[in-house]
Amino acid sequence: MTGASGSERLVESGPATLVELHREGRLVREYPGVRQLLAGASDAELARAGQLLARLDPGEVAAEHPAVPVVTVAVTGHGTLAPLLPPLTVELARHGLLLRPRLGDFDAYVFDLADPCGELYRADLALCVLDPMVVFDEVPVPWGPEDVERVARERIGTLAGLVARFVESARGTLVLNTLPLPRRFAAQLVDHRSRARLGVVWREANARLLRLAEEHDRVVVLDLDPPAGEGVPVVEPRLSQYTRTHLSPALLAAYAREIGHLARHRAGQGKKALVLDLDGTLWGGILGEDGPDGIEIGADGTHRGGAHHAFQRVVGQLASQGVLLAAVSKNDPEPVGEVLRGHPGMFLREDDFVRVVANWRPKHDNLTELAEALNLGVDSFVFVDDSPYECGLVRHELPGVAVVPVSGEPALHIEALLRDGWFDAPELTREDVTRVAQYRDELVRKDFLDSFDSLEEYLRQLRVEVQLVEAGPAEVARLSQLALRTNQFNQTTLRLGPAEVRALLDDPAARVLAVRAADRFGDNGVVGAVFTHRRGDTVHIDNFLLSCRVFSRGIEQTALCAVLRHARAHGARAVRANHRATPKNTKVKDFYPRNGFAPVTDDGTTVTYEHGLEVLPVPPAHVHFTEIPGDDGS
Amino acid sequence: MNSIDDFLILLRDDLGLPVTGADVGAGLDRVPGWDSVHLLSLLALLERTTGRALPLVEALEAGSLEEIYALAVAS
Repeated sequence: MTGASGSERLVESGPATLVELHREGRLVREYPGVRQLLAGASDAELARAGQLLARLDPGEVAAEHPAVPVVTVAVTGHGTLAPLLPPLTVELARHGLLLRPRLGDFDAYVFDLADPCGELYRADLALCVLDPMVVFDEVPVPWGPEDVERVARERIGTLAGLVARFVESARGTLVLNTLPLPRRFAAQLVDHRSRARLGVVWREANARLLRLAEEHDRVVVLDLDPPAGEGVPVVEPRLSQYTRTHLSPALLAAYAREIGHLARHRAGQGKKALVLDLDGTLWGGILGEDGPDGIEIGADGTHRGGAHHAFQRVVGQLASQGVLLAAVSKNDPEPVGEVLRGHPGMFLREDDFVRVVANWRPKHDNLTELAEALNLGVDSFVFVDDSPYECGLVRHELPGVAVVPVSGEPALHIEALLRDGWFDAPELTREDVTRVAQYRDELVRKDFLDSFDSLEEYLRQLRVEVQLVEAGPAEVARLSQLALRTNQFNQTTLRLGPAEVRALLDDPAARVLAVRAADRFGDNGVVGAVFTHRRGDTVHIDNFLLSCRVFSRGIEQTALCAVLRHARAHGARAVRANHRATPKNTKVKDFYPRNGFAPVTDDGTTVTYEHGLEVLPVPPAHVHFTEIPGDDGS
Repeated sequence: MNSIDDFLILLRDDLGLPVTGADVGAGLDRVPGWDSVHLLSLLALLERTTGRALPLVEALEAGSLEEIYALAVAS
């Protein structure tokens, strides 16, 4: 948005401002501000915004705003799918992304999945939208459960074959979905025994679909039972009958929301930390006024205390999967510490948090400092607060933070937190599960750093160990995660899904090196990756990644020196590397030149550097390095 | 929605169609930016706005925006 007055307006009525921008023909120009305009919009407002945004030409938006990440989404399926485009457009826009849609022909999914030259194979996300009519269009009348079983088996068998072919050569992620069973079919069977049998047959078909996600790591199967179970209508009978739109607009909107989460992850914008307010959010009441014995928290049977306790359990569940927890609260630190350490009603404990910030400063300042301390971008934070004032202020001051407002009704906190799948990821890695401990170690390291006068002495005492190993299947998930999530030390922002990493492992011309690190405070695990390939006598570094947790300890120089040394030892004459500038990776802009590389070409966004391998840089003395296999060290 | 002007505002502000009064009587194929998806969006929008079910078959077969408006406001 331009100008403070616009920003203030949008906090009050973002969607209305969006309509004004549309009227004034300024939506393309103001596209980067749309994300903020949509924060907190209702479903109806999102539907309306989707209609307006879907009219924009993505090419024009991309040309005017090259920094906005573009996600190409190809859509195919069984019925009429054009109505999916407005909700998809707005769901991506909500996350600061730009949708480049590619809509296939009506009912062309078999053809599209089988056509390696088609759009589906080139898209970042390939959506194959399935609906109950995939099966029921083929079922004769009269029919019984056995007819449904036969058709479903055939259809899903065909689909499974197509999916196997697709994942062999397509570049992106394929999204399928389960088939909801509308009542209109079950109710056509008048006896309960047949109806139950239909339920079995149908669920087996859906289980087969869901298993495709277990068989192929580049396939996601969205389960549509949960939204249907919450009352989202599956079918709008008139639209289904007259226009072949077999999933209701509300279900398509729910589907699009899930795609938005996937696109966000794919664009490297997944959230990493959950920052919680305390009074009214984690417990009921006001600690400063009610005292530790007066706050509402606990599984002891009180209504509100129980609701807050249930919310804490959900937060704990997220944390167990690698989400970092922090608390930021306007309170005095002592009573907060007392409650977190000793209150019998608390589910979460002080140890569950990487940091608890209790003071009277503005929350956005605390969030900014917390991000610095954790070496994370503040836009990887999700912030939950029950105060509309605090939520509005954080939204205004830190537009990248995902703000989850909760109400005075604690039983609704869980739905509010989970509504947007902020932390969704295709799969978990070992590093995820130990992340909280890793970050706590990190804060201990910072305290340790503060006890030294010189950085060199600190680094020497830290006893950093670096290992560079040829990656194997065990590292695939973690390396893909680094490629998808790392933004700061990411030289090219080349995003790789697990299958893409695996393909590189299988490519004889390519090398994938995993960087492992440890120090006196513990093992950091796999913290980085170097992707290279060799062409003739030149080694190309396709990308170099390092987790933001371990910057500036000499790990990056050590790994780079090893790659150079290895290249020279194996007869290479030069090593080339690219740096593609993004808004987030300015920190590593000079990494290659600082280590003896000279620029060769520069097209405005990507600079190609070359190292002639005559004089190799000297790795930092404080780092203990374990050579890569096959490196003779010469 | 009380008048054809309200209908035009809805077309412009909710569907993003650059239509004017001159377009409402024209054949749908001559409405700027129009395609069949707009029709589905428009019908859903009219039902939401008026709170009443449209006769969908007639609406799908309508030849102009004016005819759709007439269906939406018919008592």
